[in-house]
Formats: sequence, structure tokens, C-alpha cells
Amino acid sequence: MIYTKKTPWTLIIGIIMVAFGYLVQAGALDPLIEFLKIGKFVGKPGQPGEMIVLPFVCGLIAIVVGLWQYAVKPKEGNLDYYLSAVGGVMFILLIAFVVKWGLDPLMHAWGKAAETAMKDAKLTWAFDFAKVMNLNYVVMGILAGIIAVNVFKIPQWAENGVRLSRLGLKTGVVLLGVLYSWQELANLAGLSVVLIAVFVLGSVGMVLWMGARRNIPNSMGGVLSAGMGVCGVSAAVASAPVVNAKSTEIAYTIGTILLWGVLMMFIFPIVGKTMEMNPTQFGAWAGTGILNSAQVAGAALAFEPDGIETLKVAEIFNITRVLFLPIIVLWLAVWYVRREANGQRVDLGNAVFSKFPLFVLGFIVMFVLGSTGVFAPGAQLPGKYFDNSEKHLVKKDAEGNIKESKMLADKDAETLKVDADKVTDEKHKAALAGLIENKRATSFEHDADLRGLLNSHALSKKGNKILKKMHDAVYKPAPRISRFRDLIAWFFTFGLVGLGMQITMASIRQAGGQPLVIGSVVGTVKAVGALIVVWLFVKEIV
Amino acid sequence: MKEKFDRGTALTIFRNDRLEDIAALALSLVIAFLVYTFV
Repeated sequence: MIYTKKTPWTLIIGIIMVAFGYLVQAGALDPLIEFLKIGKFVGKPGQPGEMIVLPFVCGLIAIVVGLWQYAVKPKEGNLDYYLSAVGGVMFILLIAFVVKWGLDPLMHAWGKAAETAMKDAKLTWAFDFAKVMNLNYVVMGILAGIIAVNVFKIPQWAENGVRLSRLGLKTGVVLLGVLYSWQELANLAGLSVVLIAVFVLGSVGMVLWMGARRNIPNSMGGVLSAGMGVCGVSAAVASAPVVNAKSTEIAYTIGTILLWGVLMMFIFPIVGKTMEMNPTQFGAWAGTGILNSAQVAGAALAFEPDGIETLKVAEIFNITRVLFLPIIVLWLAVWYVRREANGQRVDLGNAVFSKFPLFVLGFIVMFVLGSTGVFAPGAQLPGKYFDNSEKHLVKKDAEGNIKESKMLADKDAETLKVDADKVTDEKHKAALAGLIENKRATSFEHDADLRGLLNSHALSKKGNKILKKMHDAVYKPAPRISRFRDLIAWFFTFGLVGLGMQITMASIRQAGGQPLVIGSVVGTVKAVGALIVVWLFVKEIV
Repeated sequence: MKEKFDRGTALTIFRNDRLEDIAALALSLVIAFLVYTFV
């Protein structure tokens, strides 16, 4: 079978990308960039940002492959098969560029403008619609994918590229392993194992119980319980041979998980923001309450699009859940054999081994690699590290004149002096005096004391703002970690736009009937139960 | 949709999930090497 389609679109997309990169680099789009406030993506002279590098690199690849596909008669084989995916990959990336650098900042600006207009009109219910509806690039990217596949249909030449989107998500998860420290993992491990054990085992038990009461076949109940309890689609597929599930039952389960997961992916971030959850709380909730790995990542990034703290917490919960797969398969095997006296015996070890998601082991490999300090010392793994040197805080020009200073300004010192009387704690008093005297945090411990003072809310709003600025000033971005974070965010963005393109109405219609009723009840109980537990017991910011 | 492709499924271009996982790990290692070398 020949997969390469003779289409000019790969070449056209490549030319559009390169032209865009050139226009950004030449400064032709500066007024638009300024209006959208996306200058941070353009970079600095000598250090081009993602809005220049990505269009040039991707565009050139698309041009070369597009020309090759036109000039060479494709022969059946691996080269034809894998290169046929390039057009689709570029199609997804082009949508991702438009959403991330165009629609996201545009909605942000319009949302703020609408709120200001409402306030000017003296409306008491003035609100920022982009904020309330959580219209960031992650949500809009998935929506763009859903619209593309259901309204316009995916062009044939792009189909193979869409089938690569899950590889993007898996690569994102594996790369994420680099960014964890032993300390973070130790902090999260206990919490995630307890929460996941309760909710995974609880939802599997609940599906089996409801299934028995509603008289659905044991095979259907078994496969739905694994899907609702563990990690969605792969768990349903892994448990299918153990409970002798038919392909229609697997399809019903996948449809239910998909429909439920898509709804939750949009609802969770809105609830999380309304309840003002911190990244640890939201990550723990999404990782426990949402069914599918891709949707957990989608919700976590939708909650915190400009950082990956939430994603890191959510993925630990997600991976812990996947690690429960063997236990669930074993449970279902025993349950099924007991209920069906003549149930066909299957090789348990083989069922678990052949379907166990290997990318989880990839995550562990990358974590071990990262924890050796090969990419960055442990202190830099959170993405920023303590540095209060003058070199970092004060930028000078070639003649030695101060260009920019992050040291405490005199007028800010005056504000803090006025606020000092409000501080009663001796340690906080000393920390504040030290800051006023030295114009910066003098050590990591000093900064920690200042952060304690900030969290105590003893100072005025303005005073707290100054403390936050001084805290941020003594943290320096770790270059390799920053690059990893950017790349991971792009892999997830690519994967999530492609995921949207796989959410067809036909796949959602597969849900229907009893599986959907049981799935909805168990899914709601799991989501609400996890929310209550997280809200009551998870307070720490990891 | 599956019958449209003679390898992989509608969800993946790879022959099976395991191969996709290995590809994700290989790609991650290549990216890690590039970040280590050039950043």
C-alpha cells in the first residue's frame, strides 16, 4: 500500500511557516506582537525565541519532504509510510502555532477589554470571559482539533500525522521524568499511592457492583471497571482477554471513557480555578479523578498553561495509577473465574506483560538519568535556582552603567520600613531588617524567612508585592531545565491538538446505554470524592 | 477506520503500542542528548 499522497499542501505549509518565521525575525509583525503581548516568544538578538526557531525548523522540514513527495515516485515501504506522516504533523503544528501565538493572546486581550467595558458601563457582574471559560491555548487547541475533524474532516494527506499525536503525548510524559527530584517524588509518592489505591480500587469495585445489579454481562462489567478505575483505554484493552470481552464491549468502554474524559477535561480546570486550588491540589485531583492519561495532561496544562508544576504533580498520580494495572487485572481474573464457572483460563502474566505501557518505564529511565545531575544539579530541577550574586541581580552596559537592577529600590525600602511595625514575629522582623539593609535576600534561608513573612500576610498589599518581587529576583532560570519545559509543553500541545482530531462524533456515540449510565455514576462519584479528599487533606505546595 | 491502514490503528502509526512506547523513549533520549550538548 502506498501512503504518500500527491499534495501540494505539505510544501505550502512549509512555505507559510518559513515566511512567518522570516517576518517575525525581520520585525514586520512587531505592532501585532506588541498588541498581543507575545514578545517573550520572539526572543532577543542573538537568542531567537520559539516564534522564530520553530517556524524555520518545521517549515524547512516540510519544504524538503513536500518537494521529495512531489519529485520522487513513492515505493511501498517504511520510507513512504513514515514520511507520509510529515504533512499531517505540520498541519497539526500550524494549528498549534495559530492557537498558541494568535488565539490565546487575542482571547486574553478581548477578555480583559470586555471586562473593562462592562466595568465602565457600571455593570456589577463584569467578568473576563476568557478567564471564566478558561480559553487558553490548551483548551482551544483541543477544541480546534475537535472542530477540524467533525466539521471540516481531516484531509487524507494529514491522516497519518494525526496518528502520531499519541507519540507526542507519550514523549512529553517520558521527558517529564527529567524534571523531578528525589525530594519531590518522595513528597508525592506516599500521597499518590494512598489516594490512587482508594479511588482506583473503589471505582473498580463500584462498577462491578453496579454492573451486577443492572445485569450487564460480566465481560462488559469487567472491562468497564478497568477502564473507569485505572488508565482508560489501555487498561480496558489489557483487561479484555482476562474477562473474555467482545470487541463491541471494548468499543463501548472506550466510548464511555472518551465522552466522560472530554467533559472532565474542560470542567476540571474551571472548577479548580473557581476554588483557587494550588498546583499540588489540582494536580492530585486531576490525576486521580480523570480517566485517561492524555486528558489528565490536558486538564493540568489547561489549569496552568504557563508552567508545568501542575502537570508534574498530575503525571505522578497518573503514573501511579498505571502501576496499579497488574493488581486490577489480577483482581478481575479472580472475579471473572468465580462468576463464570466455565470461564476460559488465560495466561495472566502474558496479559499483563504484553499490554503494560512501557512508556511508564521510559519515564523512570529519564528520571534516573535526570537525578544523576547530568542535565542540572538537583537545586535547579524546579526550573529556577537561588542566586543572589550581583552579576545576576544587576545588569550593566558595556561602559559599566547600571542598565537594570533587581535590588531593593529606595522607595520600596521606605514602604517596607513603614510596614515593619506590623510584624510581630521576631524571625520575620530580623528577615525584613536584613532585606532593607542588604537590598536583597542574603541567603537561601533568609529568602525562606521572607517567604514566611509574605505568607503570614502581616504586611500591606504593597509591602507583600515588594516581598514577592524580591523573592523572584534571587531566582535564576536554569537554562537546560527551561529548554526541557518548553519542549515538553510543545509535545503536549501537539499531542492534544491531535487528540482533539481523534474525538469524532462516531466514537462518542459508541458510549450509549448501560455502560454510559454506570460510567457516569462512577465517574462522578470518583471526581467529587477525590475533590473532597484533596480539598480537605492536600494543602502543601510541593 | 482500522481497515484504512495496513499497519497500526486509527490511534497510532506504529504496529503496536509497545513499538510506540519504544519510539517515545528513543525520541526522548535523542532530545535529552541535544539539550545536553547544545544548551
